[in-house]
Amino acid sequence: MSLTPEIIALLLLDAVFLFFGGIAFVLSARIAWRWRSHETTELQYALHRQSYLVSVIINYIFMLKIPLFAFFIYTCDKLSAIITGAMCASGVVNSVDFGLYLTLFKIVNLYVFGFWLLLNDADMNEEKLPFTRLKFVLFMLFFIPLFAEIGLEIGFFTSLNVSKIVSCCGTLFSAASTSSISLLFSVDEKIWMMIFYGCFALSVAAYGSRSPLASVVSNLLLALFALIALILFFSPYVYELPTHHCPFCLLQKEYFYVGYLLYALLFAGTFYAAAGGVLDLVQKRYTKRFYNLSLFFNTLYVIGISLYPLSYYLRNGVWL
Amino acid sequence: MLANVNVLLLDYALGSLKRQGGKSVFILIVLSLLIFLLASVLMIADAIKLELNTTLKTLPQITLQRFVAGKQTNVSLSRVDTILALNGVERVMPRVWGYYYFKPAGVNFSIVGVDAYEEPYKKRLSELTRTFDLSTLEKEGGMIVGEGVKNVLQENYYSDFFNFITPKGERYPLKIAGVFHSDIALESNDLMLVPKQAAYAIFGMSPEEATDIVVHVNNPVEIPTIVQKITERYPDLRAITQDDLRISYQNIFDYKSGFFLSLFIVCVFAFFIVIYDKASALSSEERREIGILKALGWRMSDIVHVKFYESFVMAFSAFMTGFCAALFFVYVLQAPLLRSVFIGYSELKPPFRLPFSVDVKMIVLLFFLSVPVYIAATLIPAWKAACLDADEVMR
Amino acid sequence: MIRLHHVYKRFAQGDEAIEALSDVSLEIAQGECVVLRGASGSGKSTLLSLIAGLAQPSSGEIRVLDREISKLPEHLSALFRRAHIGFIFQKFHLIPGLNVEENVIAPLIPANLPLHVLQEKARAKMEALCIASKAKRDVRRLSGGEQQRVAIARALINDPVLILADEPTANLDAKLSTELIEHLYMLKQSGVTLLIATHDPLFFDLAFVDRIIELKNGRIV
Repeated sequence: MSLTPEIIALLLLDAVFLFFGGIAFVLSARIAWRWRSHETTELQYALHRQSYLVSVIINYIFMLKIPLFAFFIYTCDKLSAIITGAMCASGVVNSVDFGLYLTLFKIVNLYVFGFWLLLNDADMNEEKLPFTRLKFVLFMLFFIPLFAEIGLEIGFFTSLNVSKIVSCCGTLFSAASTSSISLLFSVDEKIWMMIFYGCFALSVAAYGSRSPLASVVSNLLLALFALIALILFFSPYVYELPTHHCPFCLLQKEYFYVGYLLYALLFAGTFYAAAGGVLDLVQKRYTKRFYNLSLFFNTLYVIGISLYPLSYYLRNGVWL
Repeated sequence: MLANVNVLLLDYALGSLKRQGGKSVFILIVLSLLIFLLASVLMIADAIKLELNTTLKTLPQITLQRFVAGKQTNVSLSRVDTILALNGVERVMPRVWGYYYFKPAGVNFSIVGVDAYEEPYKKRLSELTRTFDLSTLEKEGGMIVGEGVKNVLQENYYSDFFNFITPKGERYPLKIAGVFHSDIALESNDLMLVPKQAAYAIFGMSPEEATDIVVHVNNPVEIPTIVQKITERYPDLRAITQDDLRISYQNIFDYKSGFFLSLFIVCVFAFFIVIYDKASALSSEERREIGILKALGWRMSDIVHVKFYESFVMAFSAFMTGFCAALFFVYVLQAPLLRSVFIGYSELKPPFRLPFSVDVKMIVLLFFLSVPVYIAATLIPAWKAACLDADEVMR
Repeated sequence: MIRLHHVYKRFAQGDEAIEALSDVSLEIAQGECVVLRGASGSGKSTLLSLIAGLAQPSSGEIRVLDREISKLPEHLSALFRRAHIGFIFQKFHLIPGLNVEENVIAPLIPANLPLHVLQEKARAKMEALCIASKAKRDVRRLSGGEQQRVAIARALINDPVLILADEPTANLDAKLSTELIEHLYMLKQSGVTLLIATHDPLFFDLAFVDRIIELKNGRIV
């Protein structure tokens, strides 16, 4: 374990999140249990106020989680200079067995809490507060991945061993790797690329069909396959190295931190359609704004990522 | 919800901070002070680490010291050739060096013996010796000193020569033939380069011996193997590699800044409680104001927004103040008092300047350690204030 | 406009439950000027709070502009007040430290309107009340009469259809009281519904008051 100031900062904020998350959890349980939307007793009045506190807390956590996610990756990137064998954040993340799960939990939590905030807004705009019980039951469920993430993060930093030699991204993201990622390499990368564009086409079609369900499904698929296609097909064009498949090196200075932009676009695009779509399914309506935003960000992402192979082809006349 | 900024609400929050007057100023000062302390410590630690790393890079790959009865003693020069014969060893150099305690100033000088015909064991030393002619140094009985040494000597009226006292009690004068400046002050500020035979005389050592032996190898990967071979041949020699030094220094500094940060977290916790208390204790005027605003159609979230802006403005300005003050304190004033926490031997060492090292990472880190924590402390009080009953103003 | 249907409001004070309002039913039409009369503690203020949605009744139903305000969650009742209701408090309750203009626009600050729109609105109201020349002055440095006009301008900033006044003439001298009544008269002329809670006899024989409702121990007499 090495307590660098960065790690202490992350752990300190984890403690703050845990504290406020705990308060929000207790309040949620109370509200979910005793909420009666048609009653106007003092208790309901108090519960309504407490429900507002929960939404303030979740807003606070969510607003910090976005920059903190970037900071986490950045810290791992910095640590890669200390840890032998690591060339970028991926080596550090994978130096602990559950590092990858920690990252996944972090991403899932962004989607989940973003969705909760959308639901909260929808609830507060209705006179009858129709989703109050639902949202607090949901929060109690969502608290589990949040708790898992914080636990994993604490575990991650305490078991991080500076002197242990780890693999660099070159071996982690290759066919030779023993992890599940290597399985993906057994399929031709052109196929992944086509699936990715297929998913994007599907999401555009879903946009045209005005069906929330189709949007949710197509965007979740898009998020998944965009990542796979990025690792297998697009990243070599970004690095201009046929064997370099790392999704983390994109975040480094050498590539102008382009990863932060690309991932933000992909997140925003898929989030609005997926979370907004679920919300529309719950409310049984169609909110055009979500899908417009989603289409906008998704298209930007697709254009951005497609520019790399295109410009490579134009300059060199060959595909990698 | 907290994302879209309402400029008028922000403006209202600023006005409200101004109206709270003394309370705002008090919190601002304490918070700035805390951030200032934290920023200073992190900056000093970073600067010293940078300096050490630069120094460490110039250290020899393997240093061999002889231990007798647990104490370091001199090594016989006869071993040099035996070690040189080992496979993979590129160069072996015996060194003569040590500390000379200068009583009037209460400081230790590092004395290093140099030889015109031997290639110096350190890159930086070779740079130094190239600019000065060592052979004349030997003939004329001169020495080259670091800037810090020169200043100390001058304060004690030694402006062109210095009288060493040998262990036999004899005087051994050496002329100050030159002064060198170095960007890496920690290493060379207290340094005196003297001819080898002068060093033997000053330390009272036999010319058949050396203080320690420095070994260079062709391939750094072979260092452990060579160390093993040497220690098998000479069990009384202890080998220190560059990595050993780097890790032990790193540990010392991580331990020190970690220790400080733990203390800081305790401070933060205490401050958290103070802020919570201050933010919760609303004056009757503030309560009345919130009541009026709610009656006039402000929602709870509007009140919370104003409180949030207040905390953010407060925390952010304290962050800026503390950070700038720390920059000034550490790099302009050279961190009086605080730096001695990190350099325990600063009393013995002539002074050196901290190299400037501030990057985006540090700013982001300080931000995360201060602003969100302060806002967290005001979160629940803000909500409590927003929950005040509006109909109080109706009674 | 306003309809109260068997409204009860109870407070818990220690172990005792105090009934601030019991079985209040009343109806006020658009453009009416109604005076709520009663000694202090008779439930006048409570009734105003309930109508404004600042508190919720223990039972019964309150409708304002055909919205059931007693069932609205807190943040929506606040939006409702912001859109439709103007308030004139006892002792004006201006916010000290803010200037006249800032006090006048205070109700609309969270509305996310551009500043110049708010300033235009405020200017119109302040000109109508002859305080435009004092716009940048701290309200603590105004005379009593000027403060009263600031309070009225603030109540009008959102162009309300209903104005609630809580003991507006308490702590006022005779001259200021008369001035206030003139302002109220003008409001009544413009078609605003007025509900004035007071025990000041000045209000009891005014020509423009359509109705006087007397409250005693939380009941309409």
